[in-house]
Amino acid sequence: MANAKQTAADFDSAAASSVTGTGRQGTVHTPGDGHMWVMVLGDLIIFGAYFIIFMVYRAMEPQEFLTSQEHLNINIGVLNTLVLLASSWFIARSVQAARAGDHARALRLTYLGGLCGVAFILIKAYEWSTKIAAGYTISSNDYFMFYYMLTGVHLFHVSLGLLILGVMVRELRNPRRRRMFMVESGATYWHMVDLLWIVIFALLYVMR
Amino acid sequence: MSSTISAQTSPSAKVAENGRTPRAGKRDVWLVFWIVPAFYTAFGLIFFALARVMPPPRPDVTTDQMVHFFHAHALTIKIGFGILVLIVGGAGIANGIVAFHMKRMTVGSVMAYAYLGAMSVGALPGCLLVAFCFLTAVYRPGRDPQLLALLYDLGLLSYVGSLGCFSTAYFAFAVAILYDKNEIFPKWLAYVSIWQIVTEIMAVPVFVSKAGPFAWNGSIAFWMGVVVFGFWLSCVIVFLMKATELQPVDEPPLE
Repeated sequence: MANAKQTAADFDSAAASSVTGTGRQGTVHTPGDGHMWVMVLGDLIIFGAYFIIFMVYRAMEPQEFLTSQEHLNINIGVLNTLVLLASSWFIARSVQAARAGDHARALRLTYLGGLCGVAFILIKAYEWSTKIAAGYTISSNDYFMFYYMLTGVHLFHVSLGLLILGVMVRELRNPRRRRMFMVESGATYWHMVDLLWIVIFALLYVMR
Repeated sequence: MSSTISAQTSPSAKVAENGRTPRAGKRDVWLVFWIVPAFYTAFGLIFFALARVMPPPRPDVTTDQMVHFFHAHALTIKIGFGILVLIVGGAGIANGIVAFHMKRMTVGSVMAYAYLGAMSVGALPGCLLVAFCFLTAVYRPGRDPQLLALLYDLGLLSYVGSLGCFSTAYFAFAVAILYDKNEIFPKWLAYVSIWQIVTEIMAVPVFVSKAGPFAWNGSIAFWMGVVVFGFWLSCVIVFLMKATELQPVDEPPLE
């Protein structure tokens, strides 16, 4: 719960900094602020549409989706969820440390968050390889097509997130940069990746 | 046109040194700019109303139904794609003006060349190949039905399934916008280009899927892509207009 509050606080302050950001247009040259919020909210709308389409097709073939779902390993799904939640926690702590002026700590926490992101990709690659080895591929049926495509496009977001965490690292390392809105925008994106995974996990692995 | 007036009534035109004061823009750039919405309007009309590839015909049909499709739409395919092969250079002009404004960014020209190159290669499978497949199919309607079916599949697979070139172009566009300090385009347009990459990824299964959301006429592989592309294109046209308006008339030609 405490983590949830922290994350919410980060979101609020990122939004607040976006308000101040628009007040100093002349100095804002890099991604962040309101621009990142366009990305996050628009991306959520696009994924929302994918999720609705998934539910429509699931409603049309409930039995096929349920039997296919049994072939997924929920433990791996839970592990991936925990890894990504942990990474979000590290990033939220990193934002707090950066705000407090402790940039060395913020940098360490960002690295930890990124490591969790890499671990997520490795676990997902392992999961995919076991599924493919067992004969469940993208062309097996509609459920597996959704499974590979939703998790695949989410993996693309995780990779993009690692790139964005790299930008955060560059900001935090250079004493002449360290712009808070950049750090907060990166964190905002990373939390979105986390949020999307939680919905994907619920839809693909958990929902009966 | 209002931009022309503002230039004439603005005695301080030469005073502004940061290049952000709204002014006339350049006449040749305006000429090229207006070709962009005109071309895409014609492009949309051809693909929707004449050539019958918007919405795409179904992939899960029999050979007889594919033959019937070509017979039923032979005339409109000939008119539509005949016009398209004549005006397809408009795509090059549209890519050219984007690259032109990208070259005015602080990032230099490397991303502009990446955008231009990727878009140019992408126009072949994404636009021209379907036109030549369909034109070939209706050229000799008595051809072997299996060959007509091949042209049907090849045309539509290349039209909906040409993904990588466009993803590369969108990526180059996004990176250039994010790095640019001249604020030629707003930063959020870079993220809209990232959504375009997302929709391209979601269209990968068109090569294995014959029905449902990931088929070449599916809600995810096709329609979501069309909606996001429409939004992206509208934004690009609006901000090309703004970038052209904001370009100082006395800005020296690019190298």
